[in-house]
Amino acid sequence: MALIIHAGSTNKNAMKALIVAEYTGVKVELVKDFQMGVSNKTPEFLSLNPIGKVPVLETPDGSVFESNAIARYVARLTDNTLFGASLIDYGRIEQWIDFATLEIDSNILRWFIPRIGFAVYLPPAEEAAISSLKRALAALNTHLASNTYLVGHSVTLADIIMTCNLVLGFSRIMTKSFTSEFPHVERYFWTMVNQPNFLKIVGEVKQAESVPPVQSAKKPSETKEPVKPTVKDAPKEEAKKEVKEQVAKPEAAEEVVEAPKPKAKNPLDLLPSSKMVLDDWKRLYSNTKTNFREVAIKGFWDMYDPEGYSLWFCDYKYNEENTVSFVTMNKVGGFLQRMDLARKYAFGKMLIIGSEPPFKVKGLWLFRGKEIPKFILDECYDMELYEWKQVDITDEAQKERVNQMIEDYEPFEGESLLDAKCFK
Amino acid sequence: MALIIHAGSTNKNAMKALIVAEYTGVKVELVKDFQMGVSNKTPEFLSLNPIGKVPVLETPDGSVFESNAIARYVARLTDNTLFGASLIDYGRIEQWIDFATLEIDSNILRWFIPRIGFAVYLPPAEEAAISSLKRALAALNTHLASNTYLVGHSVTLADIIMTCNLVLGFSRIMTKSFTSEFPHVERYFWTMVNQPNFLKIVGEVKQAESVPPVQSAKKPSETKEPVKPTVKDAPKEEAKKEVKEQVAKPEAAEEVVEAPKPKAKNPLDLLPSSKMVLDDWKRLYSNTKTNFREVAIKGLSFVFPSFKKLISV
Repeated sequence: MALIIHAGSTNKNAMKALIVAEYTGVKVELVKDFQMGVSNKTPEFLSLNPIGKVPVLETPDGSVFESNAIARYVARLTDNTLFGASLIDYGRIEQWIDFATLEIDSNILRWFIPRIGFAVYLPPAEEAAISSLKRALAALNTHLASNTYLVGHSVTLADIIMTCNLVLGFSRIMTKSFTSEFPHVERYFWTMVNQPNFLKIVGEVKQAESVPPVQSAKKPSETKEPVKPTVKDAPKEEAKKEVKEQVAKPEAAEEVVEAPKPKAKNPLDLLPSSKMVLDDWKRLYSNTKTNFREVAIKGFWDMYDPEGYSLWFCDYKYNEENTVSFVTMNKVGGFLQRMDLARKYAFGKMLIIGSEPPFKVKGLWLFRGKEIPKFILDECYDMELYEWKQVDITDEAQKERVNQMIEDYEPFEGESLLDAKCFK
Repeated sequence: MALIIHAGSTNKNAMKALIVAEYTGVKVELVKDFQMGVSNKTPEFLSLNPIGKVPVLETPDGSVFESNAIARYVARLTDNTLFGASLIDYGRIEQWIDFATLEIDSNILRWFIPRIGFAVYLPPAEEAAISSLKRALAALNTHLASNTYLVGHSVTLADIIMTCNLVLGFSRIMTKSFTSEFPHVERYFWTMVNQPNFLKIVGEVKQAESVPPVQSAKKPSETKEPVKPTVKDAPKEEAKKEVKEQVAKPEAAEEVVEAPKPKAKNPLDLLPSSKMVLDDWKRLYSNTKTNFREVAIKGLSFVFPSFKKLISV
């Protein structure tokens, strides 16, 4: 009797045991008509796995869950070399299986899952995940510099599990520029996925060309099923979250932040198109936590398009009024609220300067177009309370002032900052 | 030649293999003078484990890293029942080992590590971690409602690994009010840590009385090492982060609410010293959850040798 795996055909965790079976000749089949989010919620399924996760293996002697355990079980059904030829080889195979799971897979998922909207997206958490993943890939790269396989001189269970975990990373989120730092890992991965037994189960793998953009978070709940795209197109992520494949595309489309269609035509929309995408700058600004100058500021000037956009300094005309700190801060906050109508077309930094009253309020603004947009001047009364001066980007001193205002540099023009507010 | 584990004596991940060795009679020793954050940064250490994490096992045939792999390797050195008596038992032991790691340990750490300041504290992330942990503990509780051990009818490698992971949770962050929702897990945990082979390696476990307050985040960097308090006082957490043990006590002391020392000399302190340590008895009394007569009352005679004559066990 064949062993049965309860999982969808695109589940990379189920593929581990299926590839083992290709190597060892054991008959393992996927259950028919498995529906993620439905089949694994039944009482029968929960009796197989009380936590209700996927995959689960059904054998004549009972069930096994956890994809690595299933793969190990299947590998032990016959005599073979998947567990190595010696005890130390066995120890090292287990070591790389755990490494593949705890260092590689877990960090890939910490990066990927929030980006496709199935967990809350938090930039510091993403930064930590990417940093941990790089540390792990560097260690793996070092090992693979002098090893074709993880252990010994042929494919073992460690290679099968490691490769399945890397499939998710390579196909969904790790671009060539990311993995090029780890050339031995790249060489290893492509060699493995092109082995016939892998190719038969995984199919053809194409490397991701970009990192998925941040979606709004959809919390998985008891009744609502989040979505997973199919694997042969885009090798899929780990089936820890319950998912309905058929709902995938429409739901993904709803969640993506589409540019709202303006009710009246905004003249800025009629400008010739620009290579600079304001949202890309806003994301770079927001997500860069370390090496701000080298990453964000440099990135700004790389993407800045002086034909499509313009930079402006503003200086509050009535600083002598700014005698109470929180009143001053509230005034600036109010200005930024009233700028909301301009959000698609503007980015700004407002600095409140000084360690004692009267505080000075100065700002830096990036506007779409080569003028301050008229509709902003018309609608936002704060604009006339400031002196506006266009930034001359050929003047290095002015460029440096721009940089300092973006990064909240202190001391700013010799003084400390009381507050810095960002409009984005 | 004994196998050597590179780790501090308070590392719950090293304890996994040490407990296995107690069950199987294999000689495994902790390396001498291990200094977290120092010993695991040397080129020699990195040649044993390129990611520089702890523990690492040194054998005559080479090294093994990853604590679960080390425990499995040690378990395979001799014939024993730690891997079960049948193939399906083996599959289920591996299943619970992975569950103990991916569902229990990882969520405990996601909750704990930011709270002691070694990762950035983010309330939505903590909420997700606690929610995932509760889901896992509920599934474990369901299983243990009709099972004394995770697999079969005796301690297996799954119990050893699960228990070591739970030690961190119970002693540092999961209070009684949190775990009372999972009574079978509680019963299982206290039974396990009081098994002699566990007690010998882990020592006495006291359940956390409160969740650690949020610290300001100290980012681990290349040069700076965060700190881990010692285990025998307060069973410690997993050695994934690099740590200086010597800094532990002042930092732990800041966190622990100590009873203030009376400034005047108490005449009882001036009595001749006694072999009997009252606190040892109090701990034994408190921590013995099952088999009270056999463990606590009998233990009284070991803690206080002069009492042996008075107790018939």
